[in-house]
Amino acid sequence: MIRIVTLSPFDEGDIAFLSKTLYRSFGVGTENAGERSLPRKAEQPDGRFDALKLLEDASPVRAFADDKLLYLTDVELANPKGPLGEPPAWGHAVQGGDRALVSTFRFKPRGVTEASIEIYRRRLTRESIHFLGHLWDLHHCYDARCAMHPSWSPALPDDPEFELDAFCRDKSERRIRLAKT
Amino acid sequence: MIAVRTPGRRERTEKQEEVPSAGGTIASSSDLKAGDRVVYPKQGVYRVTGLEQKDIAGQRLEFVKMTREENGASVLVPLGKVATIGLRRVASADDIEGVFHYLGATYDDPELDWKVRHRDNVERLIAGGVLGVAEVVKGLHSLSRLRPLPAKERELYDSSRHLLVNEISVSLDVPDVIAEDYIDYALMPPAGVKLPLKPPPTPVELKGPPWKRKKPAASEDDDDLGLAELGIDLRAIEGAGAGEAEESEESEEGEEKKPAGEDEEDEGVPVKAAAVKAPPPAKPAKPAPPVKAPPPAKKAAPPPAKKPAAPAKKAAPPPAKKTAAPAKKPAPPPKKKAPPAKKPAKGKKK
Repeated sequence: MIRIVTLSPFDEGDIAFLSKTLYRSFGVGTENAGERSLPRKAEQPDGRFDALKLLEDASPVRAFADDKLLYLTDVELANPKGPLGEPPAWGHAVQGGDRALVSTFRFKPRGVTEASIEIYRRRLTRESIHFLGHLWDLHHCYDARCAMHPSWSPALPDDPEFELDAFCRDKSERRIRLAKT
Repeated sequence: MIAVRTPGRRERTEKQEEVPSAGGTIASSSDLKAGDRVVYPKQGVYRVTGLEQKDIAGQRLEFVKMTREENGASVLVPLGKVATIGLRRVASADDIEGVFHYLGATYDDPELDWKVRHRDNVERLIAGGVLGVAEVVKGLHSLSRLRPLPAKERELYDSSRHLLVNEISVSLDVPDVIAEDYIDYALMPPAGVKLPLKPPPTPVELKGPPWKRKKPAASEDDDDLGLAELGIDLRAIEGAGAGEAEESEESEEGEEKKPAGEDEEDEGVPVKAAAVKAPPPAKPAKPAPPVKAPPPAKKAAPPPAKKPAAPAKKAAPPPAKKTAAPAKKPAPPPKKKAPPAKKPAKGKKK
């Protein structure tokens, strides 16, 4: 079961769309577990939130073994700086773990038109699938049409696909099956 | 007496020879102590938990016990095998930095021959250290930009990426997902970002049989011609060729002088053909011209007019054979002379 936890206010329609699509993508039940407060401890002096800390400190919800928690927020996230610089943070996840975080800060504005809302929802779904994929041990994929392609890649179109490619889908299905047994 | 080697022993020595010493390779079990973190090639990062003795088939054997950090799986390695399986220490932060500079550098030449690529990749994963793993990831990633990877290589790409992520996360002490972000940040930086790259470390040099490696262009050409197989010494030919070239020039001049009124086009074509064909049987070739008419008459008549220049390559093999069977020689020269024969005829008619 995937449990969606919001750390900022989100439109119900967006969450409903997300739940439906996640169920279709992973074949796992999805449920909205409600809103929780944003852990202020994770905030850095520059106003951004440390992605690792935020995910660690996010308040838990009641869940069973094999359940995955997906936290949604709209604050700007920061990754630790690497040898070549700081990769842009669209979210975070514990590889093979049970918690993932997605931030909508870098998305295009939701807007009020049907088209812009649709694009926003698709992007939200794509990033959610991406970080949930990490929970099932998926790595980044070189195929720009796959949801596991890095979120900042220049090869990614403005309105990217939110499906997994054949390899990643097979791998995630295997993991999910193993978890169920 | 004939010394017989058992297959097992032979394999072992070959493997020992093949494994080049990547940085941090553990040469003997005495280098290991409990708590050490090591990388088992193609497996991942392990932590040494200590030595263990076991009775197996009536023998008391000593093993190094290691636990895989990723999933807690235990592995026992016989003490004598520690040096041969390619265990190495986890890469240092400096090594890892070099890896990122390597990943960020441009890569223009993915290996297109899948057999060579597969062998190289497997060898790199086993013996190339962390940079070898990065090479596999980078190589397959570059190839994936040209065309989608086949299923086997897609799996290899995924597993080598997994190994690299694992080692980087252990070495830099960051979560796996962040380590992977670092890798992809170097491989495909976001638009408008310029990476502060330094010259990358030199790639791992693989030690393998020579047929695995790429040959330099010059030697490939030689092989293509198959001159060695025919027993032809290239140097000797070059010398002869130079001499003949001069001779042919002279002869061209001579020809030019004789039929002064001939077109330039006609001269150009046969000259080339002569330069290619002449070398090996230099002197016998000269006398051939005067003989033109008698032997080649049948063959010469149809081909000459259509394609005089194209057969340049085809012309190469016949001269070689000429040494063995001179009977075939006459075939080429007539081509040159056939056209002149026609022209004067036309001229006469006119």
